Amino acid sequence: MSRICFHHVHKRYGKFKEYAVKDFNLEVEDREFLVFVGSSGCGKSTTLRMLAGLEDISEGEIYIGDTIVNEMPPKDRDISMVFQNYALYPNMSVYDNIAFGLQMRKLPKHEIDLSVKRAARVLEIENFLDRKPRELSGGQRQRVALGRAIVRTPQAFLMDEPLSNLDAKLRVQMRSEIISLHKKIGVTTIYVTHDQIEAMTMGDRIVVMEKGIVQQVDTPEKVYNQPVNLFVANFIGNPPMNFVHGRLEEHGGGLEFHTNRFALKLTEKQAYTLRRLNLVDKGIIFGVRPENISFEQIMLEASPHSTINGTMELSEFVGSDRYYHMNIGMEKNLVARAHPRYHFDDGMKASVAVDMNKTLFFHKDTGILLTE
Amino acid sequence: MQESRLIAMKRRLTVKWEDFVLALRLLERAQIWIAILLLPLAIFMLLPLVYLFNHAFKPLHELFLFPPTFIVREPTTGNFVELLALSESTIVPVSRYIFNSIVVTFLSTIAMVVTGAMCAYPLSKHPFPGSKIVLGLIMLALLFATEAVAIPRFIVIQSLGIMNTYLGHVLPLVALPVGVFLLKQFMDQIPNDLMEAAKIDGAREFTIFMRIVIPLVNPAIATISILAFQSAWGNTETSTLFMQEDAMKTLPFYMSTLTSGLANSVARQGAAAAGALIMFIPPLVVFIVSQRKVITTMAHSGIK
Ligand SMILES: Nc1ncnc2c1ncn2[C@@H]1O[C@H](COP(=O)(O)OP(=O)(O)OP(=O)(O)O)[C@@H](O)[C@H]1O
Ligand SMILES: [Mg+2]
Repeated sequence: MSRICFHHVHKRYGKFKEYAVKDFNLEVEDREFLVFVGSSGCGKSTTLRMLAGLEDISEGEIYIGDTIVNEMPPKDRDISMVFQNYALYPNMSVYDNIAFGLQMRKLPKHEIDLSVKRAARVLEIENFLDRKPRELSGGQRQRVALGRAIVRTPQAFLMDEPLSNLDAKLRVQMRSEIISLHKKIGVTTIYVTHDQIEAMTMGDRIVVMEKGIVQQVDTPEKVYNQPVNLFVANFIGNPPMNFVHGRLEEHGGGLEFHTNRFALKLTEKQAYTLRRLNLVDKGIIFGVRPENISFEQIMLEASPHSTINGTMELSEFVGSDRYYHMNIGMEKNLVARAHPRYHFDDGMKASVAVDMNKTLFFHKDTGILLTE
Repeated sequence: MQESRLIAMKRRLTVKWEDFVLALRLLERAQIWIAILLLPLAIFMLLPLVYLFNHAFKPLHELFLFPPTFIVREPTTGNFVELLALSESTIVPVSRYIFNSIVVTFLSTIAMVVTGAMCAYPLSKHPFPGSKIVLGLIMLALLFATEAVAIPRFIVIQSLGIMNTYLGHVLPLVALPVGVFLLKQFMDQIPNDLMEAAKIDGAREFTIFMRIVIPLVNPAIATISILAFQSAWGNTETSTLFMQEDAMKTLPFYMSTLTSGLANSVARQGAAAAGALIMFIPPLVVFIVSQRKVITTMAHSGIK
């Protein structure tokens, strides 16, 4: 177990001009559960594979502990990896699949036997040890793949979308099993996923990537509440954050966010920051999450300067909540979360109150977060 | 239900009559037509075998019948007796030819399979600059008939100084382009993830090759073993060209001397017919033993 450090790591595949991973800097703490998240093709697997030694590093260094591992073959790096499609050896029994790594390290037979049985017990696959991988269900195969990783105690576990082949229910179950496994074993883990819910629920910290560039590295709370830019704000959260283009204008002693349909009064703190950035009378992007928009009468009365009127276009019932898509005269609908006891028919007029303390402002051109 | 019975039937590989009827019922119209078209072809392909078996048991007067007959009318074992008598009168005992054949076939089959697999693996899984060209050249080698390369081969064998040795028998046979090609196709199917997983598990390249790649291409290995066995067992070329000493020649060469080696092609036709059948038995046995694997290969590779 040890720290892992990426130092200005770049990756370019063969003759391709574009970087698959660009200037990747990261320190992974010992025993940390770190999640890489990002849309498809953003370089998550590439980064992981460079760490595993399956892919050359074009520029920069990767450290495991205090050693640079750039030139070290995978077998000497002492890491284990779970592949997206499990990559179980089809010709070997479950037992041999799990034991293979130990056999390669020339451990005595009885020790191997003990370790394999222990791993199998933890993962509840003791009864399948004699079977071949093709005689197992997807979830069982998944466990075997995990077993192959945890049977050793490596410097780090690398998991590349290990749950993406499972159905939704099993995915949730395996998710919590992996977390409790991590708590028990405490080995540094890097987990790749494109599912932001998985990232939020599992990670001690999350690395959000896009186009080979790290966007933000932070705890799930920070990433959710203070996304550094529009990309992260849009990527994390479901349904995603609402964005509205508008202008900042001084009005009656306060600063207001203006569109041609409505105006919202900023908090003192927001106004202070944005004034200092000289953004008054300039274009800006306003962001608010669906749960920070309220239909409650009290809220509407309490904050007359931060309400928006609109027409209901669509509602989505998801059990505990209902999401309303409101036409507010901008190019995109405003999505608001409501308690299911509220019911609006499509086409009805309604007013919502925006909780300005929870809203964010982003730079119009760069997309960078301006307020906290 | 019917489907599952069909699957069970495939597993057993023995076909009962009701299975056959069931299979027929499951066939689609088009398939029945294809079957009807293919049936005569299948029979046609079977004819040489029928001829071979019958010929070996024909008495002398039937052997020279014109037009020749397929089915023997008065079967006799006389041909085999004649062959036995002949073999007792040779200078080099026939047992020596048999021994040579077994040694040569065994060594060449192993050599062909091993080199084929070791050649196919890097071509498939570790492509290097120019590996496509190498594969192309190997494929090109398929185009040359052995006769076309006989003289260069002779020169090579001579300069190596391995005339009249077993190595002289084996070496010309070692390269088996079909085997390389087939194994490469099979290895291409193995997902790279498997090898990467093994690397991370700490396996060396050779361990990956032996414990993961080879077991997974087992059916292809079985297939090329048969091909290799056949080409080595029936090979007379090396005996003719590179072996001047009679004691180093092989059984098929001896069989061929029974008739064509002599000016008079009428003599010993019976013994030759019996010999042909005997030569045919070992490949047949090898094929039957491993046919199940081979058939899966052919289904996979689209060879047939
Ligand atoms: N072997 C390769 N050769 C060339 N380009 C590659 C190769 N592998 C990946 N790439 C490119 O590198 C970029 C990053 O790929 P990568 O596999 O790391 O994405 P990812 O984040 O894992 O995506 P996904 O969520 O779909 O798995 C992509 O643009 C991809 O096209
Ligand atoms: Mg990936």
